[in-house]
Amino acid sequence: MNKILISLNTFALILLFLSFTFSIFSITTLKVDEIQPIKVNFFELIDIAEPPNRVSVVKPKENINEADLIKTQESNGVKNASGLEKYKINKPDIKKELSKIKLSKEREAIIKISAIIQDKISSVWIKPNSLSKILVAKVLINLAPSGEVLNFEMVEPSKNIVFDESVLIAINKMSFFEEVLGLERKLFESNFRNFKLVFKSSGEIE
Amino acid sequence: MRSFILILLSSNMFSLLEIEIIKGSDNLSKVAFVPFGIEENLDENYGLQISTQIEKNMLLFGEFENLDKAEMLSFPSSEEDFYYRDWKIMGVDYSVIGKINSINMLGNLNISYSLFNINRRIKILEGEIIGRENNIEGIAKIISNRIYEKITGLKGIFDTKLAYIVNSDAETFQMCISDIDGKNEQILFTSAAPIMSPDWSPDRKKIAYVSFENGLAEIFIQDLASGERESIQALGMTNSAPVWSPDGKSLALVVSFSGNPDIFSYSINNKRLVRLTNHYGIDTEPSWSPDSKKIIFTSDRSGSPQLYEINTQSKRKKRLTRDGNYNARGRYFPDGKSIFFVHGNDGNFQIATKKLSSRFIETLTSTSLDESPTISPNGNIIIYATKDGSKGYLGGITLDGKSRFSLPVKNGSVREPAWSP
Repeated sequence: MNKILISLNTFALILLFLSFTFSIFSITTLKVDEIQPIKVNFFELIDIAEPPNRVSVVKPKENINEADLIKTQESNGVKNASGLEKYKINKPDIKKELSKIKLSKEREAIIKISAIIQDKISSVWIKPNSLSKILVAKVLINLAPSGEVLNFEMVEPSKNIVFDESVLIAINKMSFFEEVLGLERKLFESNFRNFKLVFKSSGEIE
Repeated sequence: MRSFILILLSSNMFSLLEIEIIKGSDNLSKVAFVPFGIEENLDENYGLQISTQIEKNMLLFGEFENLDKAEMLSFPSSEEDFYYRDWKIMGVDYSVIGKINSINMLGNLNISYSLFNINRRIKILEGEIIGRENNIEGIAKIISNRIYEKITGLKGIFDTKLAYIVNSDAETFQMCISDIDGKNEQILFTSAAPIMSPDWSPDRKKIAYVSFENGLAEIFIQDLASGERESIQALGMTNSAPVWSPDGKSLALVVSFSGNPDIFSYSINNKRLVRLTNHYGIDTEPSWSPDSKKIIFTSDRSGSPQLYEINTQSKRKKRLTRDGNYNARGRYFPDGKSIFFVHGNDGNFQIATKKLSSRFIETLTSTSLDESPTISPNGNIIIYATKDGSKGYLGGITLDGKSRFSLPVKNGSVREPAWSP
């Protein structure tokens, strides 16, 4: 009986070892941008929020995804390839390309809604004046599918009382983000059910 | 394969969308200044006077917006009568209420006041103050300072003063001081010869300035209480641009020996002069860093006026500005991490700021002949001299650029403002 148990254990351990090795190898073939936490920064949002005719005279369409392209290039280790090369279909795997397009469309939708949320918050946030210090406060927002703000919590305060208070006042002024209503449920659940607002006193890097 | 899926899921579980918010609103916080209530048998005017005075103070630099009294839905004077919804509906961010509780035989008023944050639905300040009935302005300044401090996190500045030069005609120069709201103006000294460069001692008891009354530039220190003036008579042909060190023991000044101005430090007690710069170029307009360790000054040693910094101990110098061919009259911010100065560009002279850790400068003003900037002790507002035609007046700007204002017009050109500590 013991022997059977030992051999079963050994077998299970071998299986575990094999699956672990396999998972390590499969990670390296993963596209990083599929699992990477999405961070929509100010500059990316500006690209979307600005009227497109400002830049489209010179580069039609190319501009919007520039941030995405740079990110993807870096994560793939392709430093010098031009942005458009990523979209050349070099491989016969159409399915993969289709899923890529879907992902980029989803990402675009997320960025658009994020830009609207950013605009709304910016219009009510009365930022205290702090020329010399760069402060950051993060707030976790919990939304209902209707867009109603169910709950919020300052998860990472800046520790500057006035700055944190200004952030809380701004969020208290917001009760709905109805823009999420048009989103696919799956996208809403994975991105906007819980998301973070990162308030920064300055765009500069200290 | 299963373990791989688990890894994927777990990494997704902790990856939340993050949206950066850097830009704030251009709107100002809206504050309701409710007329203070009064106990029976007291003069009704006191209540209105004090809330109006607090309102005037708080609106002085354009940092807040107010709610008109006609739009107020209620006039609470105590917490029991205060309903947040009455103010939320009017878009108010903060409400100030108060009450005059009593007056004693000596004419002392007992006043209580509270400040409410409407969006957060909390009382954030409450206090009680006793003051004379003929000093409503003084009481209002103290209450305004506390309210300002609570809302902005910055020190209140309503009890500070301003020194400036008024040039009422070609031959009359007056050295004046007034409260920061322009009230209680005092003329310290009148002369037919030019007066320049006033600067407050850190204890606010004295003012140093340059007067040409004896034909050459000479530095005087005037005591505000007694009105006595004393010439410091440093060596050299001319002495100018005096600035008190933060400890009040020394003046940084410019002394010119045989026509070559350099920066010196002058010890007030033992009347000793220590040379800080020695260059054939013009070194002028010194000002101390808040820690007294460095002095910023203007020098044309590179061919155009630029700002430099000198360590008063090691005498090591460092060039601070490189943008354009005119950067002068530099001053440190109260935190010592940034400077503000006059930046010239294509014939326009504007007030600019620069973080010492950064290469970039930021222009604050939009008028074209701005000079002599001075900063509020809390580092949030800059007042400067500018011109409308040939007449000089004082303009001001908050550092976030949201508010621009001009100070009440005087009879004559106003120049060289100096904000008291």
